[in-house]
Amino acid sequence: MLEQGGFVEIQIGSPVDTFGGAGGESKARLFEVYGYAFAAHKPISGS
Amino acid sequence: MAVDPHGSYHFHTGRPLARHLGYDETVVARMPESAIEAFAGVGNPFSQGALRPGERGVDLGSGGGFDCFVAAEQVGTEGQVVSVDMTEEMLQRSRSAASAMGLGNFEFRRGVIEDLPVEDGWADVVISNGVINLCADKLRVFNEIMRVLRRGGRLQFADIATGKALPEAAICYIDLWTD
Repeated sequence: MLEQGGFVEIQIGSPVDTFGGAGGESKARLFEVYGYAFAAHKPISGS
Repeated sequence: MAVDPHGSYHFHTGRPLARHLGYDETVVARMPESAIEAFAGVGNPFSQGALRPGERGVDLGSGGGFDCFVAAEQVGTEGQVVSVDMTEEMLQRSRSAASAMGLGNFEFRRGVIEDLPVEDGWADVVISNGVINLCADKLRVFNEIMRVLRRGGRLQFADIATGKALPEAAICYIDLWTD
């Protein structure tokens, strides 16, 4: 979706066990939910 | 979270969460407790790189102001951070914390991230933490981020992603996303 939005140089960091030990951990595990840090740039050229 | 940060939630909050996500503890130590206790991020957008001195940043869904204050420290007095949140309770919390910290290089604006109260091409960097996943029309959000970024500007955000497809019932169960 970032590409669809026109972003370039997209980077995705390592997964973080955001919900580990929290009340929602079991559901997070069930659907493999993790936190990620993303970076992306607006192209220098274009609109 | 704004009115009851110590309530029972299905996610971690506050200082232990900040530590778990790898935030700089010296920066966190300078924040008032009111900003820390309402923190409910899902990752660390600054792990993709610190903001640079003098940059102009926008924080989407700034909540109690936690990431905004980290950003404000990084851009310094020559930089500026605009924080956008849709709830008056969170804005009051963050404004109060900002006043306590004595920082003057940021501004809090009420609004939704699908229609940002920020001028075209104003920002060097846009940050967000655990907010974009809550928006039904994510492409509209990314288009809006693109609008407020200058050419060559960057987006650094943390958010959750699933490794498996969610069932329709879970997608439509609003309490799962808004607790």
